Formats: sequence, structure tokens, C-alpha cells
Amino acid sequence: MRVNALHVLLVLAVASPLLALLPLIQGPVDDWPKEVERACASPRYGLRLAAARKVANGGSAAVPAVVAWADKNGRNALPQTLVDAIADAATTEAPVLDLLTMWAADRDFYWRASALRGLALRVRTAGYRRVAILKLCKAHADDPAWLARTHARFGLALGGDDGAMALPESDPRARARLPLLLLQQGKLPPLQPLLDALGDERTFQETPWGQQAAIETHKTLKAWLGDDHPLAKGGAFADTAQALAAMQAACSKKSGQALTLPQVARDRDVTLAGGVELLSCKNGDQFVQWTDDGRVFLGVDAARELTVPAAAWAEVSKDRTALRLPNAMGAVVCDSIRLRWAAPQTHGKAAPASLPADATNWLKRLAQAIEDTGDAKAAADLRAGLEQFASR
Amino acid sequence: MALRLLLPALLLLAADDPLKVGFAKLASFDYQEGMTLPKEVTDLDEKLVEIRGFMQREVPGSEPVNSFLLINDACGCNGTPKLNEIVFCTLPDGVTTDIKPGVVTVSGKLYVGEENEDDVVIMIYQLDADTVK
Repeated sequence: MRVNALHVLLVLAVASPLLALLPLIQGPVDDWPKEVERACASPRYGLRLAAARKVANGGSAAVPAVVAWADKNGRNALPQTLVDAIADAATTEAPVLDLLTMWAADRDFYWRASALRGLALRVRTAGYRRVAILKLCKAHADDPAWLARTHARFGLALGGDDGAMALPESDPRARARLPLLLLQQGKLPPLQPLLDALGDERTFQETPWGQQAAIETHKTLKAWLGDDHPLAKGGAFADTAQALAAMQAACSKKSGQALTLPQVARDRDVTLAGGVELLSCKNGDQFVQWTDDGRVFLGVDAARELTVPAAAWAEVSKDRTALRLPNAMGAVVCDSIRLRWAAPQTHGKAAPASLPADATNWLKRLAQAIEDTGDAKAAADLRAGLEQFASR
Repeated sequence: MALRLLLPALLLLAADDPLKVGFAKLASFDYQEGMTLPKEVTDLDEKLVEIRGFMQREVPGSEPVNSFLLINDACGCNGTPKLNEIVFCTLPDGVTTDIKPGVVTVSGKLYVGEENEDDVVIMIYQLDADTVK
């Protein structure tokens, strides 16, 4: 067909003003490398947070800039704010799912548990990728890191595998965390672990982990109960016992579940002389506390008790008291080991590859003492966990 | 337990005794930018307070700091702290401190309200910190 020159000119005359408006219709083009830089390196936390949300909402368009920043600066230099923002965003575009999958599968990535949570949150909307997400969740359902394990089970439960709720769980933080996440997503779990968490006042070397879980749990239950919350119309509870009873009644009524009145959980009535807290998103957390006379407690809740023979414990203690540790050893970003004891007063925290050799060697002797009491697994776990922190 | 911290405090304090404030109160609501903050936290504005929490750097590093974040969760287990889960603490000019491990108690004058920078809310709780123990 021959094109009439007059028609071409006419089309151009009509289209030109519209073409001029095109950039306005499209909106400003985002400079994703600049936004990612702001999300990762702004000096203000609030600015990083806002930029992280913008990058996350950019979806697949922003992914290449995130990958490029991580390639240049190291994956573990990515801030948790950015990973969490991407995890929380709703997009199920393939590049975003690929990014989260890559992060979740990387044992050395500090924020892999956040990435797993992001995948879990998408399991119901990911289309054909759902199978791959569930496979990954299955692979991490018994992950040594409690948060990764919990988020993997969260994905399985959201994906319809109710058996995930029944998997054995030794960490009390995880026992409350999984139902809490499910309730936040509108899936009613058994509420007893959440009620029990409300009454948890346990600590580890002054870290109030029971209270931390209680605060989060109460916020979630309050949102779920809405007008049915005992204090929805204001006022205050008279005391802890009344608060627990009121929450039990309200949760029982709304859920229809037979819930028992939780007991307040407190620390063991024992005078602890010190403890070691090893927090690792890679290998899992480990907690050891002891008394002066060689009673050793394992777990964040000190659930397991061992007794080291007096002579052996005296040797271990002698080596420990010779240690001189600074408060800060290396720059802690996520994983850390904290050592705290009363005599001589010591409280130090070390980043990976930053624990002095004498402290590492003492912890190996502590592991040997634990093994000699018959708990070879706990000793092996402690030794394996130490590898990440030993100074190189 | 956490609920107990929500109870109104019957505190008969001397005029300059710091008021003990916990994250159970500071973080008890879902913060949205531009919202009217609950009275129970705005009542704390310009009060002398004492807060327990974990110190965290605002930017990575290992040097002593003049300012730091005070948060309720040392391990990031509950995800990124929201702005009502952070107290932005500043020591007097010229004063620095190491980031201490474990739980610390910070006292000073608390300021409550949205603070903006580059049209972004960067904090809602600021503390002119006098002591870190």
C-alpha cells in the first residue's frame, strides 16, 4: 500500500503533543542504583528504612541494582531493613522470587531467615513457583537456626501443610513465633503457645527474651481480638494474674479453643556465675550458663542441666578467670558471641572471626567438660559454632 | 510480664527521678507515618526517663559513638525495628561511649514526636542521654 505523505504529516501533527506528554504519563524514571545506595548507606536509619521500602516496591525493576550493590560490597553488607522490606513487599515477579530464593539458600547470608519469610508470605500467590517455595521450606524445616526453621515451617503451614505446626520444637522462642506469624496472616493456629508466651518472664544473662516474645505476642493477640480484647474500651489490668485470666477468657471465646490458664514462667532459682550466648543465623543459637560449683545449663531456657565433676570444673574455671576480654571484639552486624561472668567482671561481645584465641581455646575446654558429662552432641554443637567466631 | 508494663504506674517520684519507661509502652501501637501518636506516649514528651534496651550503632563501625539506637531486640528476630521500637539516643556534645553488650539502662530527657529529614520521618523518640549503665 502506498503511504500518503499527507496522512503521515497529519499523524505526526496529532501525535507530537502526545509524545511530549509521554514522560509525564510514565512518571519520573527511578534511579535504582541511587535508591539502593540510599537504602544501604544513608547515615540515618529512617532514611535507609524509607529508601528500602521504595526499592522493595520497585519490584523486579530494582532487583538488578540490589544485586549489583551486593556484588560490589558483599552480600552481608546488605542491611536487614532492605531484605525485610523486600520480604514484606507483595510482588511475586520472577526476579524478586529469584532474589529471595538465592538469599534464603545461602547459609552464609545473615538475613536468610528474612528471605525465607518473604518466600513463605508469597506461597499462596506465587503461582507455579509455589512448588519450588514449598520444596525450599521443606529443606529448611529442621534448620539449626531457629528463625530460619520457623519461617520455613511458616511457609509450609501457609501452603496447607498443617503438619508443620506439629513438628518437634525445643526452642521456646520458636514455639511462640510460628503461631504468632500464622495469626498475623489470618490463619488461626492453636493459641495455647501464645497464651503461654504472655506469661514468660525468663531471661538469659539479663536478656529478657521471655518479655520480648510477650510484647510481640500481646500486640498480635490485641490486633486479632480487636473489640474483644479485654481492654478494648480502655482501662488497665489489676495485676498479671488478672491479665492472663482475662486474655485466656477472651481468646477461648473468640477461637472456640479449650485454652488453659498460663502459668508465669520464671528463671530457675539458682545463682548463676556466668554464661555464653552464641547467636548465629548460620549455625543456630547456643546458650550455656553455669554456677560456681559446676552446674551447667544449656538452652536459652536453661532446660538441660549437667554437672561437671568438681576437679574438672575447678580447672575450667581457673582457665576462664585468666581471660581478659574487651567489651567489643570486631564489628557485630548480626551473628555474635557474648561472654559474661561475674568474677572477674567480664562482659564481651565478638563478631565472626574476632574472638581471641585464648577465649576460643577456653570455650573448647568448656565443650570438652560438657562432653565428659556425657552430652557429646551439645559439645559438638558448641565446637562447631565456635568455628565461625575464632579469630583468623 | 508485658501486660503488667501496660498498667498505669502509680509512681510517687521526686521531681527529678527518672520515670521508668519500657518498650511495652513505646512500641504498643502500630505506627503509621503521620498518625496521631497515642496519648500514653505523647504524655512522655520532655519527661526525664529511664529505658532499658540494647545499644545499636546507627551506622556500621567499631569506634566509640556520640549517638546510638536503643532497641528492644538484640538479635533482629522480630524483623526490622519500626520507628516506635527505637529510641534515638544522643550523648552530650563531646561525650562518647562504646557500644556495650547486653542490656543497658539509659536515662535522660525524652522527646516524642515525628522528626523529618528530606521529607521522611526519621525518628519519633529522641533521648538526650545523660547516663548509660
